[in-house]
Amino acid sequence: MIVLWAMLGIGLALAFELGLGRVAPAATHYVAIMTLPLATYALRTSQRSSMVVGCVSGLLQDFWLEPRLFGLNGLVKTFLGWALGGLGARFDLNNFWGRFAAGACVHLVDEGLQTVLRKLFGDAVTPVDAGSLAIRAVAGGLLTAGVLSIVGKFGTSRRPPRQKPRRG
Amino acid sequence: MAAVSPARANALLLGVMSFAQLLLMAASVRGGMASTGVAATVGGVSRPAASAGRSVSEILLDVAHFFRDVHADDVANVKLRLEVTRLAGELSRTQELTQENERLRRLLGMHEDLAPKSIGASVVTARLGSQSRVILVDRGSGHGVRPDMAVVAWGGAVGRVVSVETGFARVRLLSDPNSGAAGVVARSRAEGMIVGRGAEPMEMIYVPKYADVAVGDRVVTSGLDGVFPRGFGLGRVTVVGEPVGASKSIRVEPEVDDRSIEDVLILLEPTGTRLLETDEPEPRP
Repeated sequence: MIVLWAMLGIGLALAFELGLGRVAPAATHYVAIMTLPLATYALRTSQRSSMVVGCVSGLLQDFWLEPRLFGLNGLVKTFLGWALGGLGARFDLNNFWGRFAAGACVHLVDEGLQTVLRKLFGDAVTPVDAGSLAIRAVAGGLLTAGVLSIVGKFGTSRRPPRQKPRRG
Repeated sequence: MAAVSPARANALLLGVMSFAQLLLMAASVRGGMASTGVAATVGGVSRPAASAGRSVSEILLDVAHFFRDVHADDVANVKLRLEVTRLAGELSRTQELTQENERLRRLLGMHEDLAPKSIGASVVTARLGSQSRVILVDRGSGHGVRPDMAVVAWGGAVGRVVSVETGFARVRLLSDPNSGAAGVVARSRAEGMIVGRGAEPMEMIYVPKYADVAVGDRVVTSGLDGVFPRGFGLGRVTVVGEPVGASKSIRVEPEVDDRSIEDVLILLEPTGTRLLETDEPEPRP
């Protein structure tokens, strides 16, 4: 069942990503919708599932929208799934500011890692503009927080609730 | 045997998945079969989701266009009428010039350069990132589209086909940092290379230090890159930089706005490769 939900989520994200590119191409400069499934799984389920979801959604993005380096988004989003899944397991990020920070960081690291990997594979890269990075972080944070609050209304987290450490 | 902790197992899985995808990237750079096979599988599986996204976006666009058309005000109509009047005058002038051009070409013994064979395509989606700028169009290998074909739109050059599938093709836009096109300043014929700078205006490099270039000059394709036929608009000069060494750098605002491309033409054959034929003299009566 979890696989079906993951497939549905990734499929929806892909449809929205491609649709956004048609309706408002300029918005694709700031928003990476394909990071939403991995953020959802990282904050709500396990580290391993968020890695797999990140890998699949990244490879889909590569197939449809990457002109040269097939596997670039897959690699970046696998790493993001691992990192955010690990953070989600250690800290309680299932509140508005936690989700916002997670979404903002994912959008920033996604852009940064892609730039580094492109450079390593010999692509020409442009200097990253701080202003557009800030907009990207805020937009990504708000989108992630919004989507996760909607997803939270339809189901419960599979992660067992954390127990506070006993004192003494 | 000691059990591996979940954190260590996940780190191991990350290492394996990262290595596999690095191999995929290397294979895609070299055009390897492995990346092609994986890409075909991924593409086949995700096609329904992509079709759904396309349908929904088309509906949204239709609705947006409907409301835009309904609210088109009278001022726009007056402007359009004036523009039509102006264009009608220009058209008659252009017809005159075309006839004159034809006469001069005949005089020079040149063969009329035919318009390149092309196919129309609609933009399915776009990704306008800072490091990668690409559009997806709904014509692919089944329609005769091949990599390295030039893509143009109303107003000028758009980009180059980088890869094709059966029903669609990926086009790297001129504003992509890995794009390049040979350009020439229409007024002074100063040549250079137009390169993309992501969301920033394009740059014309390798322009000789003493070349006559001014702000506002129009830059068109020179045809020297073997991809774009000459004469397609690239953009207008916005900044002429100080000379560095033997050349100077020039900022060029693109003629075609990446954010508003909806339909394009894919040039199925470059005009530059066609050999000019000699005209047979007409027999005297």
